[in-house]
Amino acid sequence: MTDYKLNVTLKYCGSCNPLIDPFQVGSRLKEAILNEPGLKLVAPDDKSIDVVVILCGCPRACGNKESIRRLAKNSIVVAGASVDQVPMAEKELPAQVMQKVRSFCAEGKPISRSPAPARRTRRHQPG
Amino acid sequence: MGMIRGDDYREALRRVKPEIYFMGEKIDSVADHPAFIPHVNSAALTYDMAWAPEFEELLTTKSHLTGEKINLFTHVHHSTADLVQKVKALRALGQQTGSCFARCVGHDALNALFSVTYDMDKKNGTEYHTRFIDFLKEVQKEDRFISGAMTDPKGDRSLSPSQQADPDQYVHVVKKQKDGIVVRGAKVHITGAVNALGHMVMPTTSMKEADADYAVCCYVPVDAPGLVHIFGRQTNDDRKCSGCLLDQGNPDYGIVGGEALVVFDDVFVPWKYVFMCGEYDFAFELVERFATAHRQNYGGCKVGLADVLIGATYALSEVQGTSSASHIRDKLVEMVHLAETLYCCSIACSCQGYALPAGNFMADPLLANITKLNVTRNVYEMARLAQDIAGGLLATLPSELDWGDARLGKYIDKYMKSVKDVPAEDRMRLLRLIEGMTCGTALVESMHGAGSPQAQRIMIMRRANWERKKRLAQKLAKIGEQPKLV
Repeated sequence: MTDYKLNVTLKYCGSCNPLIDPFQVGSRLKEAILNEPGLKLVAPDDKSIDVVVILCGCPRACGNKESIRRLAKNSIVVAGASVDQVPMAEKELPAQVMQKVRSFCAEGKPISRSPAPARRTRRHQPG
Repeated sequence: MGMIRGDDYREALRRVKPEIYFMGEKIDSVADHPAFIPHVNSAALTYDMAWAPEFEELLTTKSHLTGEKINLFTHVHHSTADLVQKVKALRALGQQTGSCFARCVGHDALNALFSVTYDMDKKNGTEYHTRFIDFLKEVQKEDRFISGAMTDPKGDRSLSPSQQADPDQYVHVVKKQKDGIVVRGAKVHITGAVNALGHMVMPTTSMKEADADYAVCCYVPVDAPGLVHIFGRQTNDDRKCSGCLLDQGNPDYGIVGGEALVVFDDVFVPWKYVFMCGEYDFAFELVERFATAHRQNYGGCKVGLADVLIGATYALSEVQGTSSASHIRDKLVEMVHLAETLYCCSIACSCQGYALPAGNFMADPLLANITKLNVTRNVYEMARLAQDIAGGLLATLPSELDWGDARLGKYIDKYMKSVKDVPAEDRMRLLRLIEGMTCGTALVESMHGAGSPQAQRIMIMRRANWERKKRLAQKLAKIGEQPKLV
């Protein structure tokens, strides 16, 4: 391990009609990050963010947009009961996110970004 | 090829030799039999409209597999814009046919299977997805109309497939061979079954390990040996074969899609067409994804039909001299309100759609089920209003044959006429159109097509976040300790 501390921030979708409780997942993540020596919880407007965890209440993943992913070199997307499209129970979400964050940490430095969601930009058809 | 025309589709139907029965008769060619021609015409329009400059933006797209221009009904959705496009295309088709065009079911099956085969392979290391992609390319290349065959007879509803006294109440695998499988059972009220080129067979319910033989999904060509189609009766269907046109109401496209009982009497399916065989733990996923895609549709096609019904009702009110009455206007406004509410639902569940691990998109399941549940109410209410405005003649109008009689015709012309300068014939045509759209089979289709209301309620029950709603209320009512967020 190096002395490098990974700067982690949390962003929420807003949770209009969530299938999970993103606020509770966020609270647990904050607690876990604060207790992890190699990690530092920073605000979304921090100038140097290594990982942005995007917390979305449902699979629609409204928070998973380019402007948010661009905040950091790496992003992890919680969308309903899934992490980066891998389904799991809601109670497992914080641990899975932390495992992913630690994998960035183990690299000693941030690695490449998560892929953008499979979303084409074709305009809506007239009708 | 990628896109064919309506006449190519009719020729393709003539080339296959499926076993089809209706009213005690074995049918030689559905493309040429009066009982089936309206259904064939309606499906043919899904092809011809794709070539029309007025509709091609809605009914065509680019294959994500080949990059070629294809008919929308062979496409796998890869964005929310794709999902919205489908709803708009269905509305446009509903407006032009005033009936069911049947291709959406197989289309939705393709979309559900694209993702479920991917998920099965990821978990089990199977090869279903690769096999399915090859099949999808085949379908896109031929622009093939396939039906979606999901609903089993189900026997005793309190028992699972494997618990039935008669094991054939659900389609199941009876033999696995080196070159394929043999399936037995039946599928009921399968839309477009007699005028499709093949059926995508899917399980109809969630399953447990004991039901593994029933967890089968496969494609069966319409003329596969052992496949028997028994076409269902519809309200006033004898008018199609009586030589009457006016009395049919919508002689070109019929009143609703044609459904059949499809019997699988030990049908062989080669492995290349098998997309699930024993993976009982994925049966529910397949049912839910198919149902979501299909329930999403109903605020598209049914609203297109509503446009026709509202137009017919409005036109009839003018012909009958009631159009300026305030209560008639109110009722017409209410019909539009009901129709556009359904459209809002379909557009909303499409916009709230999301990507699956396979990369394709599905509509929001909760909102799609809300859409369909509203259809089971709003369509009936629109029909009630249309019948209210139309008046009792809807049920008592003399027949076209008496109108054509040398002695009686003049009486019908005289006494069925209403406002000046509009012939009785116009009024009769509008009444027959409304009759077809609001009396009988067409309404039942809105209730039970894509699943009965209780099926939607079950999905809504599963998908609503009850605990969160409760906590929101408890927080405002200051019950217990709730986290303060802002």
